[in-house]
Amino acid sequence: MPFSRCIPLLLAVLTLGFTTVAAQEGETTSVGGYGEVHYTNASGPDTPGEVNVRRFVLYLAHSFSERLAFRSELELEDAKLEGGEEGGEVALEQLYLDYMISPAFTLRAGLLLPPVGIVNEVHEPPTFNGVARPTFDREVLPTTWRELGVGAVGSIPGSSGLSYRMYLVNGLKADGFDAVSGIRGGRQEGKEASFANPSLTGRLEWARPGLRLGGSFWYGGSANQDPVLGTGSFDNAVALISADARYDVGPLMFRGVVANISIADAENINAAYGSQVGSRITGGYAEAAYNVLSALAPASTQRLNAFLRYERFDTQADVPAGVVKDESLARRITTMGLSYKPVYNVVFKGDYQLQRTAGDGGEGEVLSLGVGYQF
Amino acid sequence: MRGERSEVRRDKCGGKGAFLRACSLPGSSLALRVMLAFLLPLPAYLSPLAAQSASPGKVAKSIDRIFGSGVTIDTLKVDTSFVLRVSKTGTLLGFAQVRNVKGKDQPITYLVAITPANVLKDIDVLVYREPYGGEVAYEPWRKQFRGKSASAPLVVGKDIRNISGATISSHSVTLGVRKALADLTAWHTSGRIR
Repeated sequence: MPFSRCIPLLLAVLTLGFTTVAAQEGETTSVGGYGEVHYTNASGPDTPGEVNVRRFVLYLAHSFSERLAFRSELELEDAKLEGGEEGGEVALEQLYLDYMISPAFTLRAGLLLPPVGIVNEVHEPPTFNGVARPTFDREVLPTTWRELGVGAVGSIPGSSGLSYRMYLVNGLKADGFDAVSGIRGGRQEGKEASFANPSLTGRLEWARPGLRLGGSFWYGGSANQDPVLGTGSFDNAVALISADARYDVGPLMFRGVVANISIADAENINAAYGSQVGSRITGGYAEAAYNVLSALAPASTQRLNAFLRYERFDTQADVPAGVVKDESLARRITTMGLSYKPVYNVVFKGDYQLQRTAGDGGEGEVLSLGVGYQF
Repeated sequence: MRGERSEVRRDKCGGKGAFLRACSLPGSSLALRVMLAFLLPLPAYLSPLAAQSASPGKVAKSIDRIFGSGVTIDTLKVDTSFVLRVSKTGTLLGFAQVRNVKGKDQPITYLVAITPANVLKDIDVLVYREPYGGEVAYEPWRKQFRGKSASAPLVVGKDIRNISGATISSHSVTLGVRKALADLTAWHTSGRIR
């Protein structure tokens, strides 16, 4: 057959052509972004609420070739930044280079998102229900958590659904830890970060149609060579483990996250900085959502998700000697609301939140409205 | 870009759209083929789409996987796009097409293959370029498309299940497959590819 004899040659010819082309003409730049505007009223119907451009994020990426790409997110919080005023922040959320050696192994270096929980890596407003991110994703898992480092990402060959990320990054700084928000204040966020406590963080993930399960960890010291705390790399270790699940079936969507953070030397941290840091921080949330339009307008590709989320976490689940446990830090938050998505990249949201604690502080109520987009 | 390349090849070899057939003509000496190897890519330098294709090796491997090895692949031209005609010892096995669809910000290169009865045989994600969402290339997700015809909805959340955390890619590839299946079916039904 004359054709078949030709095929290998022609394929070879084409391959040669493409290889040359790829080397010279592989560059593309892309711009994207996401943003969200919030209306929040935490003070009741008789007093005015607050309106805020919560986030405006520009996404800039460039592919130098099929293998080498740069990706970044630059964020403006609260619409503007003015000297001497509270609020407002301009910050890089991500900035890294990816070098793909194979689908199983891509090298990544730069300002990275520790792959813990759901929202830290996937934080665009249309991807989660509720105007604000889950409170757990602020006080326990400190989103948007980003640190500087290197690592690898990829899918595990032949596993059909398993993928991993593993990074070596700069550590947390214990002087920023506090009772209310745990490790949140200890993030260095890529700004002249100290590498005194190299930390490991990683994630293993399994995805099937409709289902994604993940397990994550962070381990690293936080002493930052403070003479009181120690000069070792792993002094004042913070050990975080977390598991999460997302499951969609028909019009129903479920997601949940649990996390546990151990700070074994919390007593020393509190002694050094006069703080009330818990030695164990733990909690999680579970959320169910139902696409109402699947019943009202089955032909529609739009979505109207009614959701209910219950969060329960405690930043002083255990306290070291010298700290009296504050029951008001054991928080229980119920959020219910609607997310209307005319297309999957745009969302209009509204929710009602009931905030309670294990202490005697009474209840808090928050009404929120918001819009969000990504592209 | 592949358009320009094939045009050149047709001029040189006088083939009738099916460029793989063209080189069996007496005029195409080895020297000419070697020359073509260097000349053909030239117009491609002008096109930014060049980097957004899959290598022919990847395409051939995908065709082999879907239709079995030892098949003959001919290229047919429909308007400005190309369709691969797959046959074995003269029997038509089906058609396939390589396309791009925009993911979050990068193109996803995918292949759609149909049987002679216009039933979707399989899809392949040939090149995935985004940092997250590559699970659309996995077998458990792709196999949802098998057996679909152009009359199927092919909508995420209806007959195609989403991959949580890969929503944009799931939607993009599903939309792309729906369009490709509709086109291939229309072209085959109207006799533009046969």
